Amino acid sequence: MIATFEEIRVHPCPSVVEKPRFASVDTAADQRSDHALMLAVRDGDLDALGELFERHHGPLFGFLVKHTGDRTAAEDIGQTVFQRMLKYRHTYRDDGSFTAWMYHLARRCAADHFRKASAAPRATDPADLNEHADDTPHAAQSATTRDDHALLQTALARLDRDDREVLLLARFQELSFAEIAGILECSVGAAKVRAHRALHELRDIYFRLQKETSA
Amino acid sequence: MNCTRARETFSELLDPRTAATAHLEARTHLAGCPDCQREFSSLSQTLAALDAMPTPSPTPRLRQNFYAMLEEEKHSAASLRVATARDRRARRVSLWGWILSPVAAVALLVLGFMVGQRSVPAATSAPANDTVAMRQEIKSLQEQVSKMGQLVGYSLLQDQQRPANDRLRGVLASSTIENPNDKILNDLIGSLALDPSANVRLRALEALYPHADQDVVRAGVLASLPREQNPLVQVSMIDFLAAARDREAAPALEKLSSSNNADPSVRDAAKRALTQL
Repeated sequence: MIATFEEIRVHPCPSVVEKPRFASVDTAADQRSDHALMLAVRDGDLDALGELFERHHGPLFGFLVKHTGDRTAAEDIGQTVFQRMLKYRHTYRDDGSFTAWMYHLARRCAADHFRKASAAPRATDPADLNEHADDTPHAAQSATTRDDHALLQTALARLDRDDREVLLLARFQELSFAEIAGILECSVGAAKVRAHRALHELRDIYFRLQKETSA
Repeated sequence: MNCTRARETFSELLDPRTAATAHLEARTHLAGCPDCQREFSSLSQTLAALDAMPTPSPTPRLRQNFYAMLEEEKHSAASLRVATARDRRARRVSLWGWILSPVAAVALLVLGFMVGQRSVPAATSAPANDTVAMRQEIKSLQEQVSKMGQLVGYSLLQDQQRPANDRLRGVLASSTIENPNDKILNDLIGSLALDPSANVRLRALEALYPHADQDVVRAGVLASLPREQNPLVQVSMIDFLAAARDREAAPALEKLSSSNNADPSVRDAAKRALTQL
């Protein structure tokens, strides 16, 4: 029987991780846009970066955990991203998009991390193994359970790094393809094609793993 | 539309931001093609699994390290230079406001006086007495402008490079003097009006409490109230004016009590103070 289009469920994008709310003396700061806050940081009001950190460190960390499969590395990279925001604040442009700029920096920092990790493998902290065993790709690779999350994390880890990056940016970070194209330094069309291919690749790996584990 | 063309649109159909408006032809094809439905369904399942992946929260270490790094950067030489330049710019703008507003008020008064002089007939009885009274009023206003000038001078004379701790120590030292002279009171009012640190402003207000019976002190607090942005200091100023029973504060308090921009705690304090006046 042929299904109608409406019967084939389209899953909505997940909302970005709940942003923590903190009591703030300066209520006006809550109303300022990310762009206005970053311009203030550029002009020397460094406290405005605190507000940006509170708004964005959760989603940024989520992206980095999925991208690296490693919580400790994701925290280190997240820290480096905000460090670079401070260091390169004078390069933030009047017509910029803060989120796109942040993920542009995150992408560079993640690339540095992968380069260092491939050159000199980092020793795993035993505490990490006990506390977050399922979050590491190493654990997921050897997983024989039917845990869907672990399977998908494995599938993500097996994706080409650029494919994983574009897929996560497009699905989770509420970025337009124009912004993603800016981050990846390619055309909008190329960004769409890359996201499309990445999704197919992920689907193939994921379904193959499902078959292997159920066999 | 064939299967290849239809499948090229699947990414957009699977994206809720574009699904509603995109590709009617592809939807029609999809509704009638079992192969494409299987393809679409498998991609949709993959995305559903991706969406369902838990997103862990970072440990408190990330926040601690970030704020430690921010503090370090704030105290670095380059940041201090930028912050000082920014403060000076803001101070220059506010100083002009302080200088120009009383001068403009006096100028308007003098202009009104001169127009009145010309329009009154020469034969009017007892013009001399009115003129003397008016001149006394102008003299009194000029004295007030002069006092304001001293306040402005305070901010110019203060070394803004000094850290807030030093300025706080200065205010505390002033507050221990039993019979402070006008200069010290002016300095304290200047700190209350112009110091960038809320702590210093609060201590200055506290130091002014014993002298609330003096007109110049109440006028200084009242003049500083509309410029104040920090709700904590605003509430303290309102309490000061209420404690001093300064009826001249009533219009400013009424304005604050009905202002939508004011913090709720400030509005409440202003309403409370109005009942006490």
